[in-house]
Amino acid sequence: MSTFDSKHAAHLHRHIHSHLPSDPALRVKALESLAVEKGLIASETVDAWVEAYSEHIGPMRGAKVVARAWVDPEFKARLLADATEAIKEFGFEGNATGHLKAVENTDAQHNMVVCTLCSCYPFSILGMSPAWYKSAAYRARAVREPRAVLAEFGVDLPEEVAVRVWDSTAELRYLVVPQRPAGTEGWDKESLAAIVTRNSMIGTDRILQTGAA
Amino acid sequence: MDGIHDLGGKEGYGPVPVSEGDAPFTHDWEQRMWGLAREGICPSITIDWFRHGLELMVPGDYLTFSYFQKWATNYLMLMVDAGQITLKDLERGYVLEPADPAKAKTVDQIVEQVRRACTDFSVPEDAPAHFAVGDTVRTLRQINHNHTRLPAYARDCVGEVIAHHGCHLFPDEGAHNRHVGQHLYTVSFSAQELWGDDANPRDTVTLELWESYLVPA
Repeated sequence: MSTFDSKHAAHLHRHIHSHLPSDPALRVKALESLAVEKGLIASETVDAWVEAYSEHIGPMRGAKVVARAWVDPEFKARLLADATEAIKEFGFEGNATGHLKAVENTDAQHNMVVCTLCSCYPFSILGMSPAWYKSAAYRARAVREPRAVLAEFGVDLPEEVAVRVWDSTAELRYLVVPQRPAGTEGWDKESLAAIVTRNSMIGTDRILQTGAA
Repeated sequence: MDGIHDLGGKEGYGPVPVSEGDAPFTHDWEQRMWGLAREGICPSITIDWFRHGLELMVPGDYLTFSYFQKWATNYLMLMVDAGQITLKDLERGYVLEPADPAKAKTVDQIVEQVRRACTDFSVPEDAPAHFAVGDTVRTLRQINHNHTRLPAYARDCVGEVIAHHGCHLFPDEGAHNRHVGQHLYTVSFSAQELWGDDANPRDTVTLELWESYLVPA
């Protein structure tokens, strides 16, 4: 049973810092072998998690939801009202999406998501977050200078478009619904989903490219 | 706590690693760490005790370790803290009394397990809400010394309540295994309130804040 004692945890961290090699590959290897020896997990189950998140759970899920919202106004209304319920229609609910909120970009407003205190992310709908989302630079700067951060992502946001940055400080998670690009009239959901980028659903991409499709 | 984890608004971190940091995982051990964490190898922790454990890391390590390196270190701490393994086990690299092996799960089982992990963090309480949508509120200047979710950059600032979510698990207590709810609000702050007059007057930052972080403005 965990002690829930802050001073004790800090003491243990200092001990680990002083007595264990810091090489992360070694630390994870030690963690896995100790957990396996203690009967807490089988190594094959770790393999299964890796495959689940590389093959089945990823940003293609969010892209399908966004594409549906573009073509189906009733679904879009349900998504904006209660995204947790709406994504159940796809079976995409799960880890970190128990309180999901969809926020829509408009001509007047751009939405961008960050977690300054850790790196909270809507895993079951977008998969694991990109490394930059977890970087100190993004966590520090997204709230303070979102326009400069957007410029680093190649997004040149006009002065008159307002930026709203959502700092995920509780268990609410956010899915940005990007704007449907012009020239995609008549496209089917699959073709539309293919142009929705992961970054556009975090809010570090804005104008989706229709490419040669 | 005023810890190293509270990065919002801090300066000097340089450019965001946009292209070199595009992949979720770059090493095999990172994926394995993710799998170990998702499977719940330390069942007695709460979500906020896990986060507090990260906050309590040696500060220099927090800033220089990558995300999953922090997780590995935190899980080692959490498992020792929970009495699942000992510091001696860690230094030795194996346990003296192994348990029966766990049963392996399939990918389909994991995908279904993820779907079922759709957790509702609402914790209904009888206490009436002190604020409503449209109210102007001020955040506290002082926070507790342990886990809390009021970032330093948004303390002693005035914002507007734009949503009320009912009562949610209160992290300051949840970090210590006390399952109590408190009213939760989304509060919008103008960028100028947070960062000064140079900020774009159209821009806003929103945070989810619990009732005890707020006073009427």
